[in-house]
Amino acid sequence: MDQEISFNQVTHTYQADTPFAQNALDKVSLKIAPNSFTAIIGHTGSGKSTLVQHINALLKSTFGEIEVYGRQITPSTTNKNLKQLRKHVGMVFQFPEKQLFEESVIKDIMFGPKNYGASDADAEKSAVKAMKLVGLDASLRDQSPFDLSGGQMRRVAIAGVLAMNPEILILDEPTAGLDPHGHKEIMDLAQGLHDHRNMTIILVTHQMDDVVDYASDVIVMDRGQVVKHGTPSQIFADPKWVYKMHLDLPSSGEFATRLIRAGVPLEKTPLTIENLADEIVHLIQGGNHTDE
Amino acid sequence: MSNFLFGRYLPGNSWIHQMSPQSKLMLSFYFVIIIFFANNIWTYGTLSVLILFVVLMSGVSIGYFLKGIRPLIWLIIFTVLLQILFSSGGHVYWHFGPFSVSDTSLINGGYIFVRFLLIIMISTVLTLTTTSLAIADGVQTVLKPLKKVHFPVDTLALMLSIALRFVPTLMDEMETILNAQRSRGVDFGSGSLRHRIQAAVPLLVPLFTGAINHAENLSTAMEARGFTDSEHRSKYRVYRWQKKDTISWIIFLFVGILILFIRNN
Repeated sequence: MDQEISFNQVTHTYQADTPFAQNALDKVSLKIAPNSFTAIIGHTGSGKSTLVQHINALLKSTFGEIEVYGRQITPSTTNKNLKQLRKHVGMVFQFPEKQLFEESVIKDIMFGPKNYGASDADAEKSAVKAMKLVGLDASLRDQSPFDLSGGQMRRVAIAGVLAMNPEILILDEPTAGLDPHGHKEIMDLAQGLHDHRNMTIILVTHQMDDVVDYASDVIVMDRGQVVKHGTPSQIFADPKWVYKMHLDLPSSGEFATRLIRAGVPLEKTPLTIENLADEIVHLIQGGNHTDE
Repeated sequence: MSNFLFGRYLPGNSWIHQMSPQSKLMLSFYFVIIIFFANNIWTYGTLSVLILFVVLMSGVSIGYFLKGIRPLIWLIIFTVLLQILFSSGGHVYWHFGPFSVSDTSLINGGYIFVRFLLIIMISTVLTLTTTSLAIADGVQTVLKPLKKVHFPVDTLALMLSIALRFVPTLMDEMETILNAQRSRGVDFGSGSLRHRIQAAVPLLVPLFTGAINHAENLSTAMEARGFTDSEHRSKYRVYRWQKKDTISWIIFLFVGILILFIRNN
């Protein structure tokens, strides 16, 4: 099945026709390839979250149409029959631990599959699998989700989305407020889902290091418009432009530009720590060569 | 819902925006009372002209204003219909069982319609031109005399301003939880009544736990900032009585006296 996500001239206005009207998306056209790991970045209020909520039709466009998973969503699409679409598109909201409500962890994770008609036994099976996937200890299954730590709660929430076996997974700042360890675990989980399960991952983030470490595609948004779409190295090639978009370089790129400014002749701006290390090694060895 | 105007604030800098909240509150209250003194076409006419003038002064476009209060029209029509069908007296045009329509019931129905409209309009003007925090401050000022009978005015005002401040936050949270549960396959607002009530659980439980967390965090933060009790506090925002308030009161008092004269006794 064609899993491509395509936006065609999508405009979204909040509270249209009132003095409170606000244009959140302005004629956005883009395509997200199947099985890609796409990061969406941009200044706060640039329309990232609005954009991703269109993908599983939680928001509908004011103009323009969206095609997701072979299904067309137009401004006149009714709320009926969207359930099947939402089964394919899993969405992890910011601070997803806020959505927990059941009396036990396992019941909460089973909630999604059961809504899509799975039997209790099947739902439990996929819930146990999802718990393992996110690294939750099996002993937690009968505990109340409200007794868990913040990081564990977030994992329960993510497991609740993964238990529905979505093909497309949208993560809206999944690591906000987590410690560095939890941060890495969640990001590695996303990468594992992408690499081993062929999920299409869409990540909304402010962490440029995650963008270069994990994403294959980057969409840059500014004031409701897509201003650039490309690979991380294309996006971060022009530091001046990046700063103009109120974004940062990834930390190794930041460090490299300072080295360059201090007179160290690096050939190109490295994006990851590995690249940076390679560049420096290359430079030193190159220097040695001229010495000899 | 997004077109619903009642209870929202529209930033602006009109005459009415600049009045002090306590006088706006009292004026609205006073206006509602004089509405009940009106009993003929002249009195209702005078009040309608006054309210039209007030709406114009608030700087909100009339068309938008009328559109905003339209959702309430069904409630009004329902009440008016009850009034028309069940009141007795006067010349009866039509009757069936307990229902009857007469000339007096039609006139009374019309009056109730105008009365409702006037009350809704004045309170919409109040909320449109006053921030919720200013309203809370206004309530505190207006209720100040109750301190004499040991009514906890300051605590009430504090609770009111916290409640008002958290309304949009909780609305946002509700929206997010609603969307999160929707993407987990919950169908809100469809199916049988039983099904709908069950669908509310995944929304209400997180909303309540969220509210309790907010309360805990907020009370800790307040204590850390030296809050001990709601009395013995100084005020940052002070709304003084202005010339504009005096002029508005003179106009309203004049209209009130006029109403007392032209109502038929």
